[in-house]
Amino acid sequence: MSNPVMDDLRRILSESILDLRELGKRKISITVKADNLLEAARILKEKMGFDVLTSAGAIDYIAKKIFQIVYYLWSSKRRTVLILRVNIPRENPTIQSLHRIWESADYHEREMWEMFGIDVQGHPNLTRILLPEDWSGGFPLRKDFDWRGGDAAFQH
Amino acid sequence: MIISWGPQHPISGQFRIILETDGENVLKLTPDIGFTHRGIEKILENRTFLQGIVPVERLSMLDTANFLLAYVRAVEEIAEVDVPPRAKYIRTILCEISRINSHLYALGLIAEACGGYPAIFLWTVADRELFLDVAEMLTGTRWSYSFFIPGGVRRDIPSGFKEKVLEVLDYFEGRLETYRDSWLENELFKRRARGVGELPLDKAVTLGAAGPTLRGSGFRFDTRKDEPYEAYEDLDFKLVSMEEGDSYARTMVRYLEMVESVKIIREAIENIPEGRFRVRVPMRVPEGEAYVRVETARGEVGLHMITDGSIKPYRVKINSPSLRNLYVLSRMPEFSRLLVADVPVVLWSFDPWFLDADR
Repeated sequence: MSNPVMDDLRRILSESILDLRELGKRKISITVKADNLLEAARILKEKMGFDVLTSAGAIDYIAKKIFQIVYYLWSSKRRTVLILRVNIPRENPTIQSLHRIWESADYHEREMWEMFGIDVQGHPNLTRILLPEDWSGGFPLRKDFDWRGGDAAFQH
Repeated sequence: MIISWGPQHPISGQFRIILETDGENVLKLTPDIGFTHRGIEKILENRTFLQGIVPVERLSMLDTANFLLAYVRAVEEIAEVDVPPRAKYIRTILCEISRINSHLYALGLIAEACGGYPAIFLWTVADRELFLDVAEMLTGTRWSYSFFIPGGVRRDIPSGFKEKVLEVLDYFEGRLETYRDSWLENELFKRRARGVGELPLDKAVTLGAAGPTLRGSGFRFDTRKDEPYEAYEDLDFKLVSMEEGDSYARTMVRYLEMVESVKIIREAIENIPEGRFRVRVPMRVPEGEAYVRVETARGEVGLHMITDGSIKPYRVKINSPSLRNLYVLSRMPEFSRLLVADVPVVLWSFDPWFLDADR
C-alpha cells in the first residue's frame, strides 16, 4: 500500500533525498543532503505541513567518521512523525540552526552543541542547558568520551 | 528586577526559574534546568538491554511504568517479538495506575501552589498510597516497578489482585467526587487558575507542547488514541481535552483523565486474556532501529533506539515531554500576562518533571 506522505516527499524533495523509508505506521525516516538541509526544512514546514519540531539530537557513528543529526518532526494535520536526518563529517562538525524555521529547536540545538560539540551556526543563544557552567570534561555523548573518568573537577 | 526562584525541592522542584520582572509583571521567564542531569542516554549505551530497565525508570520516578514501556517496546520492535495479549493487558493496568499516581501528585502540587496544602496535597498523597499498595501487590515495589521486560512482564497477577484493585477503585471514585466538589469547583481555586497562564491553541501546537498541556488548549491528540499500543485499542475511553487553555483547563484535563483511567483499569481487569505473560527474548538484539511513542502522564515520550547487533543499544535518544513543555513555559510571557504570584500556579499547571527533562 502506498503512503501518500511518502509519495509527496519523494515528489517534492526528489533531488535532495539520500534515503527514504517507512519506520512504521505514520513514521517516516528521510535522509537529505547536508547542503540542502535548510531548504528541505523550509519545504517540509511550509509545503508538507510538518509544523512541529518535537526534538533533535545526534548519533555519533565514530567508525564511519560522521555525525548524523536527527530532527524529530510532527505534522499536526497529517498526524505523521518524520525523522529528518543529515550526515556531517565528524571533524569540525557544523550545522545550520533550524531555529528560524521551528522555534522549538532552541533547547535541542543547545543540547546537541554541549553534548556532541556540534557548532550550530545562527543559533541566537548557544549556551549550556544541561551541563554545569564550569564543565570542562569534553562532550559526553560522543562515543570516544571516557565515561569512567568524566570531568577532573568532579573527582575527589 | 531579576528574581532567582529556586532551586529548592519544595515547590520549585530541582530546578530554577530566572524571572525578569517589572513590578508584579513578569517580562521574561527563563527555566534553568540540568540540576538532575544524570546522563541516562549515555548510561544506556553502556548497559545491556535488560540492565537498561533500571536507569530508564529514573527518568520519572512518579511515572516509571510509562517511560519503561517506551524502552521495552523499542527493544521488542527491533527484535520482532510478539508480546502475549495477557502481558499487554497487565502492562496497560500498571501504566494507568502509574498515570493516576502522577496526576494525583500534580493535583496536590497545584493545590499547594494555590495555598491549599493541608487539605488537598495531603489528601492526594494519602490516596496515592492506595495505588502504591496495589502496585506493590503486583510488582513487589511501590515506585520503581522494573516490571516490564522485553517479551512481557516479570510475573503473573497474584491471587486476590482483582478484588483488591476493584476495592481501591470503588473508594477512589468517591474520592474523585470529593476532589471535584471541594477543590476544582472551589471559588478559591477558580479565581487563582481561571484565565491565568492562557496558552492559545496555535502556540501550543507550534511551540511543541505535549500531553495535558496540549490538550488543555483544545488540541485533541493522545498517543493512546493516535497510535494505540498494548491493550488501548480494545478498551473504551474518551480523549479528554478542554478549549480554554488556562491553568484551570490543564488541571481539569488531568482530573478527567484520572476518571478515564479508572474506567480503563476496570475494563482491562475484567477482560484479561488467558495465556502466557512473557516470551523469551534473546540477549542479543539484531541491528536496526525503532522510534516508539508512549503517552506518559506528562505527554508523549518518543524513544529512538539504534542497535548494532550487540548486547547493548548503540544510541538511545529520549524525547522528553517535560522539556517540550518547559520550552513553551519559557515563552509564556510573550503572549500571556503573567504576575509573579501566578508563576507557581502556571508552572504546576504545566506539571513538568525535571528528572525527565534533564535525563
